[in-house]
Amino acid sequence: MKLVKAIVRPNRVDEVREALEKLGVPGMTVTEVRGHGRQKGHTAIYRGKEYNVTLLPKVEIEIVIPDNIVDSVIDAIVKAARTGEIGDGRVFVQHVEQSYKIRTGEREV
Amino acid sequence: MRVIPSTSAAPPVFPVPTAGGSSSAAALLAAARDRLVTAARAGRGGRAAQARYAAEFDDLVRVLAADAAASAAGASRVVVCALGGYGRRALCLHSDIDLVVVFGGAIGAAEERYVNALLQPLWDLGLTVGHHIRERSELDTADDGNPEFLLALCDLRLIAGDAALFDDVWAATERERRSAAPRRIEALLALGRERHTRFNDTLYHLEPDVKEAPGGLRDVNAIRLVRTLAREGSGGGWPDVSRVDEAEDFLLRVRVLLHELGGRDANILTHDYQEQVADALRSPGDDTHTRVEALMEEYYGHARTIAAALRATIAAGRPVASTPAVRPIGPDLAMSAEGVEFREPDVAASRPALWLDAFRVAVEHGRPLGDAALTVIAENVHRYPSSYFLDSDAGRQQVRALLYPAPGLAARLGEMIECGLLIAIFPEFGKIHGKVVRDFYHKYTVDEHTRLAVRSLESLWQPATASRARFGSILNELRAPEWLTLALLYHDVGKWQDGEHVEESLRLAKPMLARLGLAGEARHSIEFLIGHHLDMARVAFRTDVEDPDTVAKFAGSIASDEHLKLLCLMTLADVEAVGPGTLTPWKEDLLWRLYVDAYTHLTLSYADDLIQKDQAGREAALAQRPADIAEGELIRFLDGLPRRYLAVFDLDTIYGHVRLARGLGVGDVHTTLQKHDDVWELTVAALDQPYLFSDIAGVLAAFGMDIHRGQALTTPDGTALDVFQFTDAEHFLRQNAEAVGEINQVLDGVVAGAFDVSRLLGGRLRGAARRKRPVESRVLVSNEHSQKYTVVEIVAADAPGLLYRISRAMSDAGCEVDLVLISTEGNRAIDVVHITKDGRKLTEPERRGVADRLKRALQGES
Repeated sequence: MKLVKAIVRPNRVDEVREALEKLGVPGMTVTEVRGHGRQKGHTAIYRGKEYNVTLLPKVEIEIVIPDNIVDSVIDAIVKAARTGEIGDGRVFVQHVEQSYKIRTGEREV
Repeated sequence: MRVIPSTSAAPPVFPVPTAGGSSSAAALLAAARDRLVTAARAGRGGRAAQARYAAEFDDLVRVLAADAAASAAGASRVVVCALGGYGRRALCLHSDIDLVVVFGGAIGAAEERYVNALLQPLWDLGLTVGHHIRERSELDTADDGNPEFLLALCDLRLIAGDAALFDDVWAATERERRSAAPRRIEALLALGRERHTRFNDTLYHLEPDVKEAPGGLRDVNAIRLVRTLAREGSGGGWPDVSRVDEAEDFLLRVRVLLHELGGRDANILTHDYQEQVADALRSPGDDTHTRVEALMEEYYGHARTIAAALRATIAAGRPVASTPAVRPIGPDLAMSAEGVEFREPDVAASRPALWLDAFRVAVEHGRPLGDAALTVIAENVHRYPSSYFLDSDAGRQQVRALLYPAPGLAARLGEMIECGLLIAIFPEFGKIHGKVVRDFYHKYTVDEHTRLAVRSLESLWQPATASRARFGSILNELRAPEWLTLALLYHDVGKWQDGEHVEESLRLAKPMLARLGLAGEARHSIEFLIGHHLDMARVAFRTDVEDPDTVAKFAGSIASDEHLKLLCLMTLADVEAVGPGTLTPWKEDLLWRLYVDAYTHLTLSYADDLIQKDQAGREAALAQRPADIAEGELIRFLDGLPRRYLAVFDLDTIYGHVRLARGLGVGDVHTTLQKHDDVWELTVAALDQPYLFSDIAGVLAAFGMDIHRGQALTTPDGTALDVFQFTDAEHFLRQNAEAVGEINQVLDGVVAGAFDVSRLLGGRLRGAARRKRPVESRVLVSNEHSQKYTVVEIVAADAPGLLYRISRAMSDAGCEVDLVLISTEGNRAIDVVHITKDGRKLTEPERRGVADRLKRALQGES
């Protein structure tokens, strides 16, 4: 199993979710986060004063998937989240040793 | 109300059943539960059924206590008592079993054997046992750090053990209770407040917790406890809370069904359970949907009864010394412990204007309306049709003033809903009273969501966080915050029907706006807010706000910064009122960013966005033009102006501007002066010339006018159109019949060069220069925001003649003042001026020069 963690633009979440549903990924965890990478932030002027927004709102999507669909999932996320501009986000993949359902205590294979 | 005594003064002595062994416990429990489940499914699982279940559970505990006694030879005298809900015999199917075991002597090995023998079988049955083990002597010293236990002791009830020891235990708890009653009441009320806060202080949850939520079973117990604890020293007679028994029985019947359906201690009446509970309780209706609506209507009715009884009980339970005396407020109203009351209720019954006045006073004093006053209104409001309240200017003004979102307004609106007054005035709102709309997000009924949105809005006056303070600063800038309240009241009334609600809300709002006598900008703004109340959240949370085109498109749909401010606050309040945690700091940031970027677009970049031939507003203006305005005349006037012109002004005003601009010659000044409530509006048309704008601003300042907002435009053919909104701080217009003529005469003279404005202003400017300025001044002179203009933004402490000084400084630098936006936020002036020099943007040295001149002007230097 793999844990796929994608940091995407807030307005691309629906597209990513739809793409994952088409691949049969049943559920996901979505978290509102802030951060920046190469997209350093945003300068705005309000009331004659400049201010910098250094941490930009992003959405973190986490899914746990079988090893055999990792490539297609990553491909789907990248296509759905991409605008081509700096700030489109990142995808991380980690190995998952074990997974359990809390309600039943059942170990997932 | 029939109050069940918390404890009996002479506790009965129960016979201890013959020890039958813990093997029989499971059978006893199963049989008792079966009987309670049967009653619950028949809709009869209320107080009587739960009391029977508690009695049967007592038998089980007695069996175990007997077994425990047999296995713990040598243990000291002991009593096993029920506490809390079990003590009150309100024992639900999967409730915790709260017990206290008190030993007459020290706790040693034998006593520990007793406790183990008593509790282990209960645990083995899968029960959750809240147990307290005490030596008798410990009860003489109360543990104030455990208020829940001390309050639970109020429901102490003997189940098994030594009757004489129980008498002693009872006497000790009674002594402690009497001596510490005020502290216990305070602890009880603090726990209640904390609990209510967790539920956002509302009882109108779509999926209510029948035990913990406001108006739930814990509040019933709080009523009972206050009456028990405050028997001595209370402020007066207890209110009649006779309907609380019925409400409690209903909640108990619902709760036992939830326990049965959930198979656990479940107390939330979820959407899924509502259907099954409605069927079990025989809620009326031909289909599931109707039955659920009836169930929830009944639930809210009982919850209201309990909440009102709790308020009245708390007020009556105050110690005499702390009960505020009734004091008159004016000839008709008085302030009592419960809040604002009518001094003569019989007279007030036929004076609806006094009802509104009572609510106004209640908001001003931050107090509720008293129950007696609410009762007077509730019993008489049906005698007056909705038209009655708004059939005069005074009535309309009274209602509009009441809707100013001052702190406490939302709470008063809740009272106005409960007593029927709000729905009498706004019958369209009645369509969503108690309306349940199931969706994934909303947590409250539609009317309560609306009220909570107003509460969110009013909280911006005292923002809890720095993040929220940003939005509070917008509220300070609004010309008429009550428009937001009105828009919020009607934004979701269209939800009375299934399907799309925005258009229906707008349709229902139109007659209300007419009844309130709102026209022009007010009507335009409120209709805009209702019709677009979903737009900003959609753009902020579901589109790419980093994309300048997205911002430009959004700003284009808003078109004026005043509308943007209103919509931003409406969005904030609307989202926050959906449910706890819906408006996260993350969403606040997105909303704020969109606001700032759109605001920048609307104020600094709007000049490049000109009226287009295919623009809907232009076509409407042409189609609806009156007979005296030719199409060509209107086109010549409109084309070349910024798009925002069509959004800011309604059509009648635009046609007025066209007429005002007719026949202008060099030196001519055409003006109109109108009053809207307390605000005057001067519109000036003249052929543009150097210093024109600063001259007009200077004349107004010379007459003591305080300019709050306005704008100046220049048409491509050189006609300047300046609109100023101001207040007559020195009452010059009110006190002088010839004032309007005098102002016009001076304007003519100044524009023609016959009068020197600086001389007229002299004293005022010197006075302003001497004043301290608590606001940091900022000047931005930039070429980045507009393709055609250099944009100047000035933030400074508002002062007499400020606009004159800064616009003159720009004219002194040889600049043409092409477009101006004037606004104020409290004591800050925020002015945006688009300038050119010789028809082009300023060079960098010229921008520095203008900035320096402006800084000197702000410091009062000429």
